[in-house]
Amino acid sequence: MSEIKLNKVSRDYGLGIFGVRDVSLEIEEGEFMVLLGPSGCGKSTTLRMIAGLEETTDGQISIAGRDVTRLAPRHRNVAVVFQSYALYPHMSVRENMRFGMKMRKTPRDEQDRRIAQAASVLGLQPYLDRKPSALSGGQRQRVALGRAIVREPDVFLMDEPLSNLDAKLRGEMRQELVKLHRRVGKTTVFVTHDHVEAMTMGDRICIMRNGRVEQVGVPLEVYARPRNTFVAQFLATPAMNLIEAQLNAEGEAVMLSAGPIAGPLPEREAALYRAAVERKLLFGLRAEDIVTQPRPGAQAFQGIVTVLEALGPENLIVVETAGQSVSARVDRHFLPRIGDEVTLYADLAHTHLFDAASGDAIAREV
Amino acid sequence: MGRRILSHFGLIVAVVIVLFPILWVLRTSLVPAQDSYSAAILPSVTLDNYRALFAEKNFGRNYMNSLVVASLSVIVAMPLAAMTGYAFARFRTGGRLARLATLASQMLPPVALALPTFMLFRNVGLTNSLTGLTIVYAAINLPFLTWILMGFFEAIPEDLEGAAMTDGATRWGAFWRVVLPVAAPGIMAAAVLGFILSWNEFLFALILGGSNTATVPVALASLQTSNGVQISNVAAGVSLAILPLMIAAKFIQKYLVEGLSFGSVK
Repeated sequence: MSEIKLNKVSRDYGLGIFGVRDVSLEIEEGEFMVLLGPSGCGKSTTLRMIAGLEETTDGQISIAGRDVTRLAPRHRNVAVVFQSYALYPHMSVRENMRFGMKMRKTPRDEQDRRIAQAASVLGLQPYLDRKPSALSGGQRQRVALGRAIVREPDVFLMDEPLSNLDAKLRGEMRQELVKLHRRVGKTTVFVTHDHVEAMTMGDRICIMRNGRVEQVGVPLEVYARPRNTFVAQFLATPAMNLIEAQLNAEGEAVMLSAGPIAGPLPEREAALYRAAVERKLLFGLRAEDIVTQPRPGAQAFQGIVTVLEALGPENLIVVETAGQSVSARVDRHFLPRIGDEVTLYADLAHTHLFDAASGDAIAREV
Repeated sequence: MGRRILSHFGLIVAVVIVLFPILWVLRTSLVPAQDSYSAAILPSVTLDNYRALFAEKNFGRNYMNSLVVASLSVIVAMPLAAMTGYAFARFRTGGRLARLATLASQMLPPVALALPTFMLFRNVGLTNSLTGLTIVYAAINLPFLTWILMGFFEAIPEDLEGAAMTDGATRWGAFWRVVLPVAAPGIMAAAVLGFILSWNEFLFALILGGSNTATVPVALASLQTSNGVQISNVAAGVSLAILPLMIAAKFIQKYLVEGLSFGSVK
């Protein structure tokens, strides 16, 4: 068993400055948990506190049921993969992997067996006797992983391990890491600021901001039900469109009025949000829920195209309408020119509503 | 092409200007005493000046003294400097005050310390002894080496120690097995600098030393007697005194370059 429990954990730097504040999080045995957030949100600090590299000034951390809050890193049986890889530059690849086992007095033949196995899984056999400086970025990344794997730790902690790789390699390593996690099955905490990594890799994601946890959940659930505007906007590119809005009841119907987008909410949404009529709201709609063809429940609006990004499989456009910028993810064959007026359809079946003041999602009445 | 020749010519002139005094000293050490001040470049070559230096002036003893004191002072100061420098680089040990004091000790004129040191050492019987001189040089080297090593340690990514400590090493183990080897070129460069500092030191060697414990700089100074400067012997002595520095300079070049470009981690 190697679940991780954070109980109201804080990192207080003094003078009222907190790196992490009152973070509580339970990471289950074998789970791949992604800590996601903008830089400075405390995700790396949280990871380093789990590793014991950063002091925990308040709260408790336990790994596999053992309180490790005050334990030195070496007594926690965790392995860290750093963003910089932190390979020992004066040791060969083999020695880099051996170091941790040597420190733990693993028998020599067992060391050799594990190094050989990790090298074969990671394709490092040809490089075992090279120094890190003679390796490419991707190879160093693999060595850093290998060094963690051979230790057979309770927990893997990864601090933005893919951010120094080029885009193609990053995509490959993402899939490899997921495969590796399935094979090894160890509890893993993965820190990233890249929502694509978070969505694709995490069993669950934990979104942080200003040292606090904003939302924890299964990626698609968080995507579908962001708890507030921060989560809604952070979890996608382009960020979710947010427009000041109001709901009005007209008999059975609930009318949405959000800048250029106005019309009755579909029946299901109307029922969910009926309680929010007359409040100051933010209407949220993801870029992919703005379409170019009419469909039931979608409200037409016009706008002037100001940005067109043809990505290949799809196009991103931004239109200006009634003083609002609205982003849409559209079909690759929809290719307006900058300055064209286009008609788009906002699919209100995917409406998100937030309180205008607090940014919190409006509770749905189910 | 023309510009290259021109720049080479300029460089050759600069090199000659820099090297001339040194080459002239070498020349003076190799000609008979009566030709020391003549303008002839090499009227005749002899090793008599060197022979006289060792046979009559006991220069071998001075040379040995210098080697021993300079080496030992570095060997004594280095471990302390490495640990202090590491503490300064990684922890808030002593705060800014300790760092400032370390630097400030380098700004104090040595003369200000010479007299108190002499009184102190006379009381404990450390004057006229190589041990006494070694202690003083180690003390002089310590802040200097600490400051240099602090810079080298600061350049080493902290994640390396983080990796070592999660891999099972103690803080000390991470320092010993990872930080020190990675900083080795820097440590070597610092050691060479410390050696040169001690090798050239004159004031304390003069005040604390006696005839048996005189180092090279003191011995060379003593050749400037009331009966005139024995320039041919001085030239021979200076030529020999430069020798270790030449070798050291070669090492420094190598290690400093390595030290500055070591293990690019990313």
